[in-house]
Amino acid sequence: MSAATRFTPGWAALGIAPLCVLLLFFVAPVFRFLLFSIADGTLAPFEKALTDGLHMLVFLRTLEIAAIVTVICLALGYPFAYWLATTTPGWRAVGFAFVLLPFWISVLVRTYAWMILLGRNGILNRNLVALGIVDAPLPLLHNTTGVVIGMVHVLLPYMIFPLYAVMRRMDPALLGAARGLGAPGWEVFRRVYLPLTLPGILSGATLVFVVSLGFFITPALLGGGRVLMIGVLIERQVRQFLDWGLAAALAVIVLAVALGIYAALRRLLKADLQWS
Amino acid sequence: MIDMKRRSVLAGAAALTTASLAGPVRAQPAKPARIVVNASGGAQAAGLRKAFFEEFEKRFGIRVVDSSPPDLGKLKAMVTTGNVEWAITELAIEEAYRAEAEGLLEPIDHKIVDFSRFPANLRDRKHIFTRSVYSTVMGYRTDSWAAGKGPQSWADFWDVRKFPGPRTLQNKPLDNLEFALLADGVPLDRLYPLDVDRAFRKLDQIKRHVTVWWATGAQSAQLLIDKECVLGSAWNGRYFAAIGQGAPIHVEWNQAGIKESAFVIPKGTKDAYWAQQMFQVMTDARLQAVYANLATYPGLNLDSPQYVDPKVASHLPTHPDNINRQFWQDVQWWMANARSVEDRWAKWLIG
Repeated sequence: MSAATRFTPGWAALGIAPLCVLLLFFVAPVFRFLLFSIADGTLAPFEKALTDGLHMLVFLRTLEIAAIVTVICLALGYPFAYWLATTTPGWRAVGFAFVLLPFWISVLVRTYAWMILLGRNGILNRNLVALGIVDAPLPLLHNTTGVVIGMVHVLLPYMIFPLYAVMRRMDPALLGAARGLGAPGWEVFRRVYLPLTLPGILSGATLVFVVSLGFFITPALLGGGRVLMIGVLIERQVRQFLDWGLAAALAVIVLAVALGIYAALRRLLKADLQWS
Repeated sequence: MIDMKRRSVLAGAAALTTASLAGPVRAQPAKPARIVVNASGGAQAAGLRKAFFEEFEKRFGIRVVDSSPPDLGKLKAMVTTGNVEWAITELAIEEAYRAEAEGLLEPIDHKIVDFSRFPANLRDRKHIFTRSVYSTVMGYRTDSWAAGKGPQSWADFWDVRKFPGPRTLQNKPLDNLEFALLADGVPLDRLYPLDVDRAFRKLDQIKRHVTVWWATGAQSAQLLIDKECVLGSAWNGRYFAAIGQGAPIHVEWNQAGIKESAFVIPKGTKDAYWAQQMFQVMTDARLQAVYANLATYPGLNLDSPQYVDPKVASHLPTHPDNINRQFWQDVQWWMANARSVEDRWAKWLIG
């Protein structure tokens, strides 16, 4: 094989096979399913989705929860990623183990673990009451609080990894230079470190937000039934009522919003990079 | 008894040489290495294996692989794409009717599957095999109220002064609308057609006392085990299993909702013949009793109760002490109304 000597086309060819697999077994079926929304030649499924008063209400709540989860993931993930990027290799290994460990455990198991921790008779509430910190158990579970806690736990790694990647790549000399030019710590962070980690923030936030939109098991189990996300309604149309037209219309709406957010963040990022 | 004997002899012989005995001569199709039976999984899968799959494997030498969970959407996808991997699947009864209406099911071959010892109203079913029945019952923790001294009706369940404490109900309108109407004084035999407005008005009263609307069967019992709730609803087998593991739960059969668990054959499966044979195995009175003993979900062969362990018998929905105090789910009503009611339920719950 002479291709072995020509490096670049060989690598490109390596990428073609997985791309074909993705197109054939993922993109094509998804696209095929989305077509169900216009299968009968009308936009009736979209009309129902947008006007029946239930689906858009739930979708707005879904966006709200996704936004809350994204902000909390950022608040927790940013300092942790900073610590990971700057600590010693030994501590870094330990830190990564803590981030990755939950990935090896099924979402269902993790969700049940939260039930044991946060319940009315859960470990946390029992101790809080026993220690006299609160009089009655705190409502930490079976409401939006429980859902947000469970989702943050699952999604935090998606925030930490992109942040870690940009923080590791950063040249520490830049910070030194800023300090050398007389900038106080806060200014170094605000005008040098934060802008340089912005790509990581935006890609982490996009990942967390978009994955949040499709959450399913966690809200069903930790929300006590009161927290309804759009994924649950789509599943019901697919599995219970066999109304694939409505399910596909809802999926198109979610996909459009997710792509819109992605595009907006990309533009924001580009503008920001050009500006700096 | 003589009839029983004759029939079991016939069944045995038929198993050996089906083609020669089963009426019009019909060649037995080639045996596959395995067939897939899709059902609820978990403890139920173990029960199905012990009661029916082992027997089927012994009779026909075909391995039975179980998968889960029941999924009407997946069934439709399989049938419409012609790629059917299940020989048999379980479905909730109203989903089975929906699948029947959409033409997704293979007809039951009454030459192979013998329903002569089933209740008259089930003998002529074209596509849906009622493999067992189950009930949504009320249960409470016995450290809140001694067994028998707790709530004994849905009116009691609604009475938060007399029986205080956090409650749990299923996150579905099915059963709950009926429970609400019973709590509001509608008699058992006058429930259908359901007065949906009245049911939701009654549900308004209990809403804030129901701290968890459960989503899975496992969760319903766990909530009582963990003392997250002290009073709730669950499928009878879930409480039975929890009690077997020592949970302090009492089951109240009064005004429970009894319904069918349906098994169906997906249209176009290459294993249809063997699925029919599996159905025939599942009609067996003794094997149904084996399953009932494990799961407390009895089959409907009229000869089956005599084989049930006397210690288990009173825990079955079909026990004489239990069955007449319950209401049968009206599948036709739910078929016609499920969609609008479920949308209203979702809106009500988050509102």
